[in-house]
Amino acid sequence: MNAAAQPPAALSAVPPDPARGEVVFHVRGLSKTYGAGEAAVHALAGVDLDFRQGELVVLLGPSGSGKSTLLNLLGGLDTPTAGTLLYRGWDLGAADEEALTQYRRGEVGFVFQAYNLIPSLTARENVGLIGELASDPIPPEEALRLVGLGARLDHFPAQLSGGEQQRVAIARAIAKRPRVLLCDEPTGALDVRTGIVVLEAIERINRELGTLAAIITHNAVMAAMADRVFSLSDGRVVHVQANAQRASVSTLAW
Amino acid sequence: MSLLDRKLLRDLRALKSQALAVSLVMACGLTMMVMTRSLIVSLENARARYYEEYRFADVFARLKRAPDDVARRIAEIPGVAAVQPSVGRMVTIDLAGLPEPVMAWFGTVPERGEPLLNRLHLRRGRLLDPGIRGEILVSEAFADVHRLGPGDELAAILNGRKVPLRIAGIVLSPEFVFEAPPGAALPDNRTFAVVWMNYQELAEAFSMEGAFNQVSVALEPGASDRAVIAELDRLLMPYGGLRAYGRRHHASDVRVDDEIRVLLGLAVGFPIVFLAVGAFMTHAVMSRLITLQREQIAMLKACGFGRREIGLHYLKFALVIVTVGTVLGVIGGILLGHRLVDLYHLFFRFPDLHFELATGVLFAAAAASALAAVVGVWGAVRRAMRLPPAEAMRPEPPAEFKPSFVERLGLGRWVGVSLRMALRNLQRKPVQALLTGVALALATAILIIPNAFRDGVSYVLDFQWDIVQRQSVAVSLVEPGPVRALADFRTLPGVVSTEPFRATPVELVSGPVARRLNLIGLRAEGGLSRVLDAGLRQIVLPARGIVLSSKLGEVLGVRIGDEVLVRSLEGRRVERLVPVAAFAEDFAGVSAFMELAALNRLLLEGDQISGAYVAVDRGQWAEFLAAVKETPRATSVVVKEAMRDSFRKTTAESIGVLQMIYLLFATLVAFGIVYNSARISLSERARELATLRVLGFTRREVGAVLVGELTLVTVVAVPVGLWLGGWLARGLLTIVNTETVRLPLVLTSFNYSFAASVVTVATVVSLAVAARRIREIDLVSALKVRD
Repeated sequence: MNAAAQPPAALSAVPPDPARGEVVFHVRGLSKTYGAGEAAVHALAGVDLDFRQGELVVLLGPSGSGKSTLLNLLGGLDTPTAGTLLYRGWDLGAADEEALTQYRRGEVGFVFQAYNLIPSLTARENVGLIGELASDPIPPEEALRLVGLGARLDHFPAQLSGGEQQRVAIARAIAKRPRVLLCDEPTGALDVRTGIVVLEAIERINRELGTLAAIITHNAVMAAMADRVFSLSDGRVVHVQANAQRASVSTLAW
Repeated sequence: MSLLDRKLLRDLRALKSQALAVSLVMACGLTMMVMTRSLIVSLENARARYYEEYRFADVFARLKRAPDDVARRIAEIPGVAAVQPSVGRMVTIDLAGLPEPVMAWFGTVPERGEPLLNRLHLRRGRLLDPGIRGEILVSEAFADVHRLGPGDELAAILNGRKVPLRIAGIVLSPEFVFEAPPGAALPDNRTFAVVWMNYQELAEAFSMEGAFNQVSVALEPGASDRAVIAELDRLLMPYGGLRAYGRRHHASDVRVDDEIRVLLGLAVGFPIVFLAVGAFMTHAVMSRLITLQREQIAMLKACGFGRREIGLHYLKFALVIVTVGTVLGVIGGILLGHRLVDLYHLFFRFPDLHFELATGVLFAAAAASALAAVVGVWGAVRRAMRLPPAEAMRPEPPAEFKPSFVERLGLGRWVGVSLRMALRNLQRKPVQALLTGVALALATAILIIPNAFRDGVSYVLDFQWDIVQRQSVAVSLVEPGPVRALADFRTLPGVVSTEPFRATPVELVSGPVARRLNLIGLRAEGGLSRVLDAGLRQIVLPARGIVLSSKLGEVLGVRIGDEVLVRSLEGRRVERLVPVAAFAEDFAGVSAFMELAALNRLLLEGDQISGAYVAVDRGQWAEFLAAVKETPRATSVVVKEAMRDSFRKTTAESIGVLQMIYLLFATLVAFGIVYNSARISLSERARELATLRVLGFTRREVGAVLVGELTLVTVVAVPVGLWLGGWLARGLLTIVNTETVRLPLVLTSFNYSFAASVVTVATVVSLAVAARRIREIDLVSALKVRD
């Protein structure tokens, strides 16, 4: 299937649910090319999609499919080569470095596969650090309680397990009450049980705070917990699936 | 405190040994900066206070003899505020217990009241009472060496008559801040003294009653010394006046000026080297830190921290390091400064020389080190600021390895696995290898400098005393006399040979530049006192032409074949253009030589000599000295060994202390640099080394990779450092060399091997520490987290 050739309307196979709120990301023909000439790599080759407020979406695809590139563009970590990228009607694709920084600071929470905690700060401090950027942050203790780590506030990353570190990373991401939570393979480095705990934390944030959550994974099992699932391959969205009912995270297994 | 600052403090704690090494290097540079700048301020203020309070004159002149009413006429010269005539003579002193005769400059104080100018500062005892005969005041430096005090006695040969004298007081004079014999570049407080007597007594002894032979003049504010000097010269001409000169040609004042110039050079030169090294080390540490924290920086950016916040955060690392360095440097500078001020008492005698902190330098120090650090970290911080957040989230691309150059030459099978890996590593990361190499080369280079100073001093000592002056003593006549006076010296006990010399005050002029000095006439090919060229070959003095010390040639701006105007300052005051025949090597003062007969022809005087160099049989040394003391015709007697001893005890000792301080600093810095490099290298390689351990390599084999790498770099860097050190030493010597004292660039094999050894030892010790850390590498965690 050639996604680029598809009319935009055909993409929203599921009609937008008005109860689900406004369009947060409006993406048309989004492309990203690294390098030039012979050596050029087309990481994204014309992606069209819309993400809405309060949705939990999963971006599914093998490595090299362009899902991380897409997430980086949505998160303002990178700028597109071509196409339209609107965030709440604002042209994110044309924003400069300063504007992108303000965007990330105010709107986006990131969760990375490698946690990326500051090793010299405790769990509470890692969360508090990002809170310092926000005008009305969730207190670090509360954010950590939300991810089930209320008892491990003053541990350094090295004293925490992988799952715990990832939950600190999630607490850190939500502490500034972002409108968008972007998670790049959040369970990639974790075993199943720990992975479930982490996904539960994300799902709970999405449900309780109404945050748009986008999760990147190559693990198809996770598709069940999403409102919508976007499958990527070779830099294109090849399939979109809407779940009438989101499966409970605890039922997932891989 | 913000959490980012808390991260800063915790990161710094983890980096403490490296950060402290950088701080210490900066502190060394700043210590020298604060110390030397403060010394300059201390010297300048002490001098200004002294000159002001004790009414140091502005213009000075010597003459043969003028009646007192000439002094009144001098006072009438427009611009003259005060005139102080006096009598001054060179006199031989016999000090009980000292085999050598002492050369003393005898001056006079007015019978009643204090002198108008050049007043004396009383250290101990009392000033002279009017009417009491046989009492003197003695300069402190000489009194200190011989532990003389009020009430002690000595004998002086006044105009051929031995007179017993008693010391009334120990004094200082603004005319003799630097207490050295006239024309000498080095102090000699053992056999040179300055003595003051009541005018009447000394004048009578030399038949100078109602007359004077030296005069000091103070100018009215705003008066031109040039005009006064010209008028003074005109007035004194009939009385055998040597040309008058201003303060800036006053021997003692010139020495203080020169010392301040040397300090200025050191205050700039050394700190620049150390701060540059500090900047380099900051760069190395920060680059490494930023590479290590690549993911953290990316995360902070992803979470919305701006470039400025990130940049500031990493800049703060450097600022903390600088602050610690500055505080340590200032404390060190103050402590060492106090110690050095005490040391300066050996050279310069001020009533009140105490350490004064140059407050301006504190700001300069802070600014200089901050600048060094910012320059050092700027590139690294900018890299952190520019790091695109998305880029940083990806792991670093795997390194490309190629067979090393050595292997491609087909020598691969001759090198072991560890060495092969070391070679490949070096080739893979040439920039890092280069940085480590530069660090090691710098460490080597800064070790060369202090020893080059020491070797320069000892070369000058050997040069001056063993190569140039082979005579045992130089004996001067009271007045220039005929050559037959030589016969008197030949009859002294123990004399093996004698050579006559003539010393006459002249002014050498070339274009706008003029210098006054004693032009020395020697035998064309003397055996006792020789004139040598830069290659230490003896220059045969030509029948026509003048030989200048190379520094004098440089000052006058002349080349061989050019003519200089020789203006005699005494006798018939001849003025002649004389061609420059050759340049001589000379490290103290400026000097000029002519063949004795040629000089006498130039002066239009018959065969006159000023004295003789005398070689003495060691066996009859004591008898010889005793006889010289009793020789009325001899005034000044310079005993080579005594002067050399005295120099060793004063100048050499203090240079030794300075040299030790610098050497200590350089060693410290060398260790700091090498240790830092080893730590950085280890930290960069922790993951790789751990991988090797996991794969089954033994600790020894893994260690060998690291050792091999650092050894290879050291082998290349040390020779480069030796070369660089010679270059830096040359630069610093150029800054500190003055007309009065110059140090040649002497690079000995000891210096080189010492520098190489220190760096080698530092490398071995650092590697030992690093090796211990290899043992501590937690194999599992090293593979997981980059830290």
